[in-house]
Amino acid sequence: MKLSLDWIKDYVKIPDSIEMSRLAYDLTMSTVEVENVADLGAQFSGMVVGEIKEILPHPNADRLRLCETDIGGETKEIVCGGTNLAAGMKVAVAKPGATVKWHGAGDPVVIKNAKVRGIESYGMICASSEIGLFDLFPFTEEATIVDLSAFGARPGAPLSEALELDDVILEIDNRSLTNRPDLWGHYGIAREISALYDLPLAEFTPYAPQPCDRSFTVQIDDPSRCFRYIGVEIGGLSVKQSPFKVRSRIWRVGMRPINAIVDITNYVMLAVGQPTHAFDSDNIKGHITVRRARDAEKLLLLNGRELSLSREDLVIADDEASVGLAGVMGGAKDSVLPTTDRVILEIADFEAISIRRTAARHEARTEAAIRYEKGLDPERGDIALSLSMKMFAEFFSGMKVTGFRDNYPNKLERASVDVSLDWLASRLGKRIESPDIEKMLTRLGFAVTFTNGGKDMRVAVPTWRSTGDVSLPDDIMEEVARLYGFENFEAAPIATSFTSAINQREIDMDRGIREYLAFRCGMQEIFSYPWVRGEYLDAIFPNREGMLSISAPPSPDEKYIRSSLLPGLLKSVSENLRFFGEFALFESAQVFKDGDYSSPYDKREFLPCQRRNACGVIVGASGEAGVLFRRAKGIIEWLPRYAHIESLTFAQREKPVWADAVVWLNIISNDAAVGSLALLSKKTALGCGIKNSAAAVFELDIDALKPLPSRTNKFEHLPEYPRTEYDISMLLDASVKWEDVYKAVTSKKDPENLIRGVSFIDEYRGSQIPEGKKSLTLRLIIGSLTKTLTSAEIESCAGTVIKRIKKAVGGELRN
Amino acid sequence: MKEKFDSLKASGEERISAAKTIAELQDVKASLLGKQGALTDILKEIPKADPSLRPEIGRMANELKDIFTKLIDSRTEEIRLADSAISADFDLTAPGLPPLEGGLHPITQMCYDLNDTFRSMGFEIFQESDITSELYAFDNLNFAPDHPARENMDTYWLAGHDAGRGPDRLALRPHLTGASVRYLQTHKPPYRFVYPGRVYRNETTDARHERAFFQYEALIVDREFTFSAGKVMIKSILSKVFGRDVPVRMRVGFFPFVEPGYEIDMGCLVCGGVGCSVCKHVGWIEIMPGGAPHPNVLRAANLDPAEFTGFYVNIGLDRLVMMRYGVDDVRLFHGGDLRFLRQFK
Repeated sequence: MKLSLDWIKDYVKIPDSIEMSRLAYDLTMSTVEVENVADLGAQFSGMVVGEIKEILPHPNADRLRLCETDIGGETKEIVCGGTNLAAGMKVAVAKPGATVKWHGAGDPVVIKNAKVRGIESYGMICASSEIGLFDLFPFTEEATIVDLSAFGARPGAPLSEALELDDVILEIDNRSLTNRPDLWGHYGIAREISALYDLPLAEFTPYAPQPCDRSFTVQIDDPSRCFRYIGVEIGGLSVKQSPFKVRSRIWRVGMRPINAIVDITNYVMLAVGQPTHAFDSDNIKGHITVRRARDAEKLLLLNGRELSLSREDLVIADDEASVGLAGVMGGAKDSVLPTTDRVILEIADFEAISIRRTAARHEARTEAAIRYEKGLDPERGDIALSLSMKMFAEFFSGMKVTGFRDNYPNKLERASVDVSLDWLASRLGKRIESPDIEKMLTRLGFAVTFTNGGKDMRVAVPTWRSTGDVSLPDDIMEEVARLYGFENFEAAPIATSFTSAINQREIDMDRGIREYLAFRCGMQEIFSYPWVRGEYLDAIFPNREGMLSISAPPSPDEKYIRSSLLPGLLKSVSENLRFFGEFALFESAQVFKDGDYSSPYDKREFLPCQRRNACGVIVGASGEAGVLFRRAKGIIEWLPRYAHIESLTFAQREKPVWADAVVWLNIISNDAAVGSLALLSKKTALGCGIKNSAAAVFELDIDALKPLPSRTNKFEHLPEYPRTEYDISMLLDASVKWEDVYKAVTSKKDPENLIRGVSFIDEYRGSQIPEGKKSLTLRLIIGSLTKTLTSAEIESCAGTVIKRIKKAVGGELRN
Repeated sequence: MKEKFDSLKASGEERISAAKTIAELQDVKASLLGKQGALTDILKEIPKADPSLRPEIGRMANELKDIFTKLIDSRTEEIRLADSAISADFDLTAPGLPPLEGGLHPITQMCYDLNDTFRSMGFEIFQESDITSELYAFDNLNFAPDHPARENMDTYWLAGHDAGRGPDRLALRPHLTGASVRYLQTHKPPYRFVYPGRVYRNETTDARHERAFFQYEALIVDREFTFSAGKVMIKSILSKVFGRDVPVRMRVGFFPFVEPGYEIDMGCLVCGGVGCSVCKHVGWIEIMPGGAPHPNVLRAANLDPAEFTGFYVNIGLDRLVMMRYGVDDVRLFHGGDLRFLRQFK
């Protein structure tokens, strides 16, 4: 919402001691956010009134003229192509240094002294569109320059002074007005300023209706939708231009002047926030009825569009048909035409929600609808009426009221709120004296009565705040606090109340897992959207089993929401492969499935299955697939130790659809599958745009993991006697599994109790190894708990291990 | 002869200890003990000497040879130990090897910074689900039945679950506030908790607008709490995030679920409050809404508004990270682009 300071000052005299910057600051702090403060006059700097003394032909151009122009004490030669130039005419001259838009289009340019077709021109004589004034000085013929002859300004006078454009325009963030419909319009803000600074506010003289010749009736069929309808039939009018000051004000705050009748309705709306509407009463057959539309009833608009209405829409109708969509817009019949000399002025109040729905249904969020949908105070009709009638009388000397109706079936009651002063002091953290509270609230239009021996107060809310805005003691507290000034309350420390230290295992586990993956495993955390692109689903989960979807998705291709983090992660993989060859990513977020509907909070609520997952991918060259898989496996194997959760094991139970034919495992916790670990199948990889690279993936249901009660480690005494690392390389059948080798070494009791550890070192297949075989290197840690071993004892222990391996899986020693 | 030996001993010892490198020492060794060396030269003169003195000369020569040999050996060891383990021309300017490349998302980093700060002030951390019902997203929060945010325009309702009302109508949560009621319902007063999470809005995206973004809510509900204590809380959080004292102001603001409501601004860190393009020349940047929970919200959590009040703030994590680092496009956060993410350690 744009506001003119000059206009605000019609209603509240702001002393010079309150600077504009302070006013904007105080309004922002206490009332509404002032987004911008613009000096209107500044955009006309360097522009003056010029009087054309003589017009000479341009020696080098037929269409151009040389204008000898008096710009105040000196006469300059200005080249101009205007078609309406005349000697004696007063024009707007942009002197060198002023900023204009050539022919009203493109970026603003700064005027310089320049030669135009060989003749030096001092600045330029402007068309209205070139200096941003087209709406005030419209023209139809090209190259029409602004004629200022009617303004009686002396040559050389600054243009902003001649046109009285020295004003400040405040721009208010409309969001900050959401709950304050009373602030729409200059009068509403003026009222707030008068309260903030304790200044007197101008009042409107109530309009006193006179006896009329003709009496038309207004019938309100649905008083729950239309609270009040004032209709005034006014004759003796004509369609003409309104006075410059009115046009100028309308233009300053962002609307376009049209003609005097329409301008009055817009001016009143901008002044007091009450939409008003005037329609040619010759088009109205009989009387006015405010009623629900009939199903499929048609309404023709002025722009030729025809609306199809429903029972939900409220219309203004005459005896024959609907003429306008109530509170939203007028129809073709319901307008001011060039021939109009008699109108019906409508000042009405409609219920907010139905206006919003109607405006949304017909895609017509008009200026009127925007105001009505916030909920207006029907009492506001009185000041709108007063101002409207005053303006009609001023603009049209032959104006005559021929009909008047004020149908006000639902009189708005002032809200009343009881507030305890002790409660107020406790909530504010400060006790403000009762007389001060009363003064502040009175300035805002509230009426205060102290009750209960001065301990409580009953606050009567002004009508303009009684439309739902103020109804609770908390609302009164806010009024007091903002008028007192939020900044004037001393900062208070936050009281602590120690009961116990915070101990949230699940929360800590979630963080522990992320930090483990990021810092220890070298993976980068990413975030992706919950809605998944179709191409990735086709590649990863082609049947979309159990997936939920959005009814109005971001795009038709992003209808489904994720049941796994894999699609988002693989999209990121394919995109990052443009820049990187080897990398590791992970994401931790919720996934969703259509099932398990329940809610632990409210038994009426049924929420679908939502689980927090962690999903990781390690990407590298195709030839490294085995290593990538083993890295991924290592990450899961070590996760329980580093993140302090219950242990995880692996088994092949159910192959994920996206996994490699062979290289896949399920992750098991307490005998339940809680995730998977696998190489990406070639088909899935290709479908996700991953070519010439391999990717090992894991996905884990974090909600299924159990955090240990605290950081859990087991202390062992450091060995008293030496230990030896003893590596054994065996040539084995390629199909032999490490697990079987490991079991062969560890499952039987070690009679001497010398084996302290067995670990996998390496597996090798290649040129030196026969086809169908592989070399496996394992490491024994050999040591006694009671003595230092001799080398013969160590060799004998290793020999036993080799024999056991040979017996279990065959093969022979390599080294 | 003795003088010769003495003189050779003195000069030899000096030369050995003066040698700086193994090569230099080899040269010294050759010049003292080699075939053309000084000691050999002396020995060559033995035949010319008085035969009775020859054994004594021989003894002295051997003694000197021993002394030199020992000195050279110990000097060799000295030089070896003082030498670099690699080479004299090792390039110290070559970069070191980097540690593992992984890292947390900048929003997670910010979230953990805030978690640490809030926990130090006695707040619990609460996590809830992304899909919620209209009951919690709107009804409990004092949103008018016809509030525009309920319409499809702003909220992602779930297909097949969008026909009903209240508990039957499901959506990706449009804000976090609804879940605060879930916490209030399942815990005992007084309450002091934070609630980080991702929210979803059906919006047209651009550099400043996203459909998925992160919020961080803090809520205190207690028998006594004034908004000026809330201001202290906000100041301490921001100074942790930005590493210095940040001016904070609270001004009037409106949100359905708070009464009174505030817009909370912080002093622009780019210009120091004098006005610049980042703060739209006002010196302040709007960072979060806040306020006391609306009585109707407290009632939804079965709390008596006459007894309880509180303080609530909702921090836009994306915006806070953008301000912290000068990130100019919010869409980068969900882009999964390593070139972006690796900038944040």
